[in-house]
Amino acid sequence: MTPRTIVEGSALHRRVQGANWSLWIITIAILPFLVAIPLKPSVFGNSYTIGLGNVNEAIAWAVAVLGLNLLTGFNGQLSLGNSFFVGTGAYLTGGLVQTYHWSYLSTLVVVIPVCLAIGLIVGVPALRIQGLYLALVTFGLAAVFPTIVKLDQLDRFTHGSNGLNIESKLLPADWMPIQGTLEAIRKIPLIGDWTGTDTFSSRQNEAIYAYFLLVMIAAASFLLARNLIKSRPGRALIAIRDNEIGAEVSGINLSLYKAGAFGASALLSGVAGTMLAIDKNFVSPDELGINFAIFLVVGLIVGGSANLKGSLIGGFAVIFVRQWATQTKEVPLIGWELNGPYGQMVLGILLIALMFAMPGGIAYGLTKIRSRIYRVVPADHRGEAPTG
Amino acid sequence: MFLLAVSVDTDPELLLARVLDGLRFGSGYGALALALVMIYKATGVLNFAQGELALLGIYIAWALSVGWGWPIIIAVILAMFATATLAAGIERTIIRPFDPSNHLPLVIVTLGLFLAINSFVAVTWTTDLKALPSMFPKGNVFAVGVAHLTWSGLGMFITVLVMLGAVTLLLNRTKVGLAFRAVSSNIESAELVGIKVGQTLQFGWALAAAIGTLAGALLVPELQVLDPNVMLSTLVFAFAGAALGGLDSPKGAVIGGILVGLIRNVVVQSVSFIPSELSVGAAVFVILLVLLVKPSGLFGSSKVVRV
Repeated sequence: MTPRTIVEGSALHRRVQGANWSLWIITIAILPFLVAIPLKPSVFGNSYTIGLGNVNEAIAWAVAVLGLNLLTGFNGQLSLGNSFFVGTGAYLTGGLVQTYHWSYLSTLVVVIPVCLAIGLIVGVPALRIQGLYLALVTFGLAAVFPTIVKLDQLDRFTHGSNGLNIESKLLPADWMPIQGTLEAIRKIPLIGDWTGTDTFSSRQNEAIYAYFLLVMIAAASFLLARNLIKSRPGRALIAIRDNEIGAEVSGINLSLYKAGAFGASALLSGVAGTMLAIDKNFVSPDELGINFAIFLVVGLIVGGSANLKGSLIGGFAVIFVRQWATQTKEVPLIGWELNGPYGQMVLGILLIALMFAMPGGIAYGLTKIRSRIYRVVPADHRGEAPTG
Repeated sequence: MFLLAVSVDTDPELLLARVLDGLRFGSGYGALALALVMIYKATGVLNFAQGELALLGIYIAWALSVGWGWPIIIAVILAMFATATLAAGIERTIIRPFDPSNHLPLVIVTLGLFLAINSFVAVTWTTDLKALPSMFPKGNVFAVGVAHLTWSGLGMFITVLVMLGAVTLLLNRTKVGLAFRAVSSNIESAELVGIKVGQTLQFGWALAAAIGTLAGALLVPELQVLDPNVMLSTLVFAFAGAALGGLDSPKGAVIGGILVGLIRNVVVQSVSFIPSELSVGAAVFVILLVLLVKPSGLFGSSKVVRV
């Protein structure tokens, strides 16, 4: 079957785009109500739990992968130290909320400038250190973060190796129509049956409120990243990745843009840290070490490097593959019960496999599938006289 | 003029104790750094999975010695062979298909290996704390107050020097070594004169894995704890040693590793305003400083790129 050709800007193209967007918005709006009471599918004798907590965590991870994508995917600087920035954001939020009783969202006022500043500071030596050596230095940065958190001098704020438990909860305001929306969704045939018949507990209300908050922060982050990439500075970042000398000769200020890429990446990573703190109400130093940083690289490659949709896919892939692996106990044809952290093994193998089979990541694969169904071609240049 | 009040412990016995500790741990870091340098020299890739390959070797040695009751030295030698075989297989299956001149995808593959091996060890042997017996007799060679030189410390130091000597001889006096040096100097020319590049690199990976396993088997009894995260901070120290010595110099790796051990145990412990928990931070600082000031390290050859 030949794919259908759609001319860009035509009425049909607009309809397809409109349908795409409506589908996205409806999915985003209904999804939390479907999984707020965790789904418990059972496959091959394994019972799985998919809840709103996983979705919220995955949204935060998507923003963290987006941060890495700006730096590694679009600018070509491989960083293994982005967990440092995520951790800084998470601990700043945790410390300010727990010790100084700030509200979660107001901590962004501190997180954003601090992470931007740290990113710029790290970015300056990175100007002289390139490629593999940069990976080496940032690897060290990721390894150092847990030891800094565990310092006695910071114990008052970080609670050391026990992790920081944030007691304050994110409560939805009374005017928010969470129950009302639930009732409305139940009236939809087929989908409505998924939501059960119970009214939501206060915990589920909080999770739904957190979900919409995280979705808004994530949407803003992706929108800003998209605008950055499509603008002049974004083109400069890509030009530096593709040919540094060529970019410099074309008048791009390498120092400014490379340090700037680190700053922007750290900023988004810090915001992702805040989002993780909002979702989990808990921050632990051992989770934010080198493994976190490598999982971000997994998300980047699995989703799709230098692809904004890829960041979203990558964040969800990391969380849900790990979740799926921890809950799979029995595999058909294998006699023993699986136990332990082999989600990490699956992610490691997935990373290697995708480097082989699909270096463009899942996002690239989806684009290829879509191009078999329809293809968007640019419109003819109007006003130009045909040659000949 | 010093505005910052720095107080340094200068008790001679304590200082001697710290120097001895530094030499002991430093020779372990030097050994792992040697493994990193072997791979870097051959392929130009930093192998982030080197520490985890060593971790796998240590657990194999643990299973053979503690689990099956074999002598520890035999267990370590068998573990070295096992990891060398595994590394040769890894090189053949998942490293060789990639373009050797494009380093970043290769580094990402080693990161995948890092996750996979680390988790394989944790799944197979659980994350419970274990203890690996030392290959050397217990007791002290001599003791002065708090400072004492243990047999294991002396043994480590000598083993690492012997290992360095063996690697140097191998590289400079054998045909395999010549091929190895040819490949590390220029892959295309080496291929043109008929050297089997793939097999030579495979040999490099196997050798590095065996060296790394020995390094781990020397270090872990000194650290007195064995769990799946034990090689992580060790890897950072080894990277610092390799960077300090020059990433393509075997001699530099060992000397750099010992210097990093001395920095960790003498400088960080003696200077009052550096918290001793930040020893990993000190290693990272060393890496950063070397790469900024003298990227070729103490003994490495400086890289000249034609643009």
